[in-house]
Formats: sequence, structure tokens, C-alpha cells
Amino acid sequence: MDPKVMAYLMGAVAMLWAAMICGWSIAWLGRGAVEGSARQPEAAGAIRTTMIIAAALIEAISLYTFVIAILLVTK
Amino acid sequence: MDPLHHFHLHPIIHLPHIGPIDLSPNMAVISMWISMVLVFLLVYAASRRVSMISKGVHAVVEVLLEFVRDELVLPMMGKEGMPYIPFIATVFFFIWFCNLSGLIPGLFTPTSNINITATLAIIVFFAVHITGIREHGFFRYFKGWVPKGVPGFLFPFLFILEIPSSLAKPFSLALRLFANMFAGHVVLLIFLGMIITYKSILIAPFPVLGAVIIMVLELLFTALQAYIFAILSALYLSDAVHGGH
Repeated sequence: MDPKVMAYLMGAVAMLWAAMICGWSIAWLGRGAVEGSARQPEAAGAIRTTMIIAAALIEAISLYTFVIAILLVTK
Repeated sequence: MDPLHHFHLHPIIHLPHIGPIDLSPNMAVISMWISMVLVFLLVYAASRRVSMISKGVHAVVEVLLEFVRDELVLPMMGKEGMPYIPFIATVFFFIWFCNLSGLIPGLFTPTSNINITATLAIIVFFAVHITGIREHGFFRYFKGWVPKGVPGFLFPFLFILEIPSSLAKPFSLALRLFANMFAGHVVLLIFLGMIITYKSILIAPFPVLGAVIIMVLELLFTALQAYIFAILSALYLSDAVHGGH
């Protein structure tokens, strides 16, 4: 296969997996946070802060992939 | 159409090189200067007439600083974090204004350039380790990286394992901020670029509507990314102040 086509394809595949897994993880995280703050409304503030930090850490993984995909596509 | 077209920086005025360093300012530098001046003017205007009853600019800045103190520093670092509020607040305000400057047509987002976010992350990296060494002393700080009660022969292995993790922190800080700002602007351009790609005016309302929605989302992300950068800096500083694990 043409290396250029291969690079585009692999960029798309990398982004697909990253978006899939990170979306799933953030959904899980949000579910946990909502369940936690529904059970203990007084801890909602602390749960929200922790959730945002964890979401940022998860999101970073898909963003690394995004950077790699951009590098693959623009090479 | 190249989606990365607007990230290419060109020098505005050509200045001589000093060794390998190019001093010519480009749009990113100008935008950064503008946001620095705006932060300075905002805080200066707020600090000029301090009275018990806060109003005007003073009230706005007071709310923001109280947010930094009560939501960022105190939950992360506790009472020992009070001396670090100026640092965290500076990082927060600077990144927020840099992010916001990208939403003004004609300006550039300084934080969508990896060099600027990497510099910010390196500042945080040095701040963390220098704080730790100053609080605990050189040897006690590095000893604190390894959990207590570990047998002596395991110490070097665990210490070596901690080095990549401490190097990954500034790396992820820099890349997160950069990629978020970068991705937002690429999405914005791709939406608007649809009009040019499809060569039809009938399609125009939909990309414009999409771009407006993404723009609102970007406005949220400017504050959110500054918050995340500041809160993670506070978290890393708290690890250094409280002696790690």
C-alpha cells in the first residue's frame, strides 16, 4: 500500500481507538461521580473536583493520540 | 485545504539572531504580550483603591482570587498551600488570558504552540522540585519519593521507577494544554472550511451554526484548561510540600 494512504489510515485507526476508549472511560467516571454525589450530596463539591482531575488525566491520553495522528497525517 | 494553516507562525519584524535564538517576534509572542498586559492592567486596576466594600473591577478580581484560594489551593494543599497562592493564581490568570486571546479574530492562541506550554510546564517542574528541596532538605526530599517502610535493597529500584513518573508530569501538563487548544481551533477551522470545500452557499448556515456551538464550547474550555493546569500544579506542589506519598 502507498505509505501516504497507510499513514492516513493509521492516523484514523489510532484516533478511533483513543476516542472509543476515552469516551468509555469518561462515561464510567461520570457515572461514578453522579452515583457518588447522589448518594452523598454533601460530598458533591469534592467529588466534582476529583472528577475533573481524573477526566483531565483520561482526556490527555486521547490528546496524545491526537497529536500522533496529526503528525502521521501531516508527514 | 490545510487544517494547520493558521498555526504557521511568521516573524512580524526581523530581528538579529543571538546565537541559535531567533528574537523576531511573531503573532504568538504579540498575543502573549497582549494577554500579559491585560492581566497586569486588570489586577493593577483592582489593587489601586482597596476598600472594605468591593465594587467594579475589584469585585471581579476578588471573586476570581477567592476561587483560586478556596477551590484550587486549599482543597489540594491545605493550610500549607497559602504561600503558593500567588504562583497558582499567576499561572491560572496567565493561561486563561492566553487561551481567551485565541478567540479574538486576528490574534493567535499562544497556548496552542507547544513551546509556550512546555515552558510553562518546565516552570512548574522546577517550582515543584525547588519547593520540595527547600521544605525538606535535599536528601530528605528525594528520600520521600519512596514509600516509608520499604526494605533498603529495594530503595534504588523504586527511586528509579519514580524518575520517569516525575518527568512525565510536566510532559503531560504541556501536552494537555497544547493539544486541547490546538484541537479546538482545528475543529473550528474544519467546520468553517466545509463552506470552501463544498463550494456552495446553501451549505453555509450549518457550518456557521456548528462553529458558533464549538466557539461557545471553546469559551468553556479556555477556563477549564486554565483550571486544570492550575489544579494539577497545586497537586504536584502539594506532593512536594507534604513529602510525597
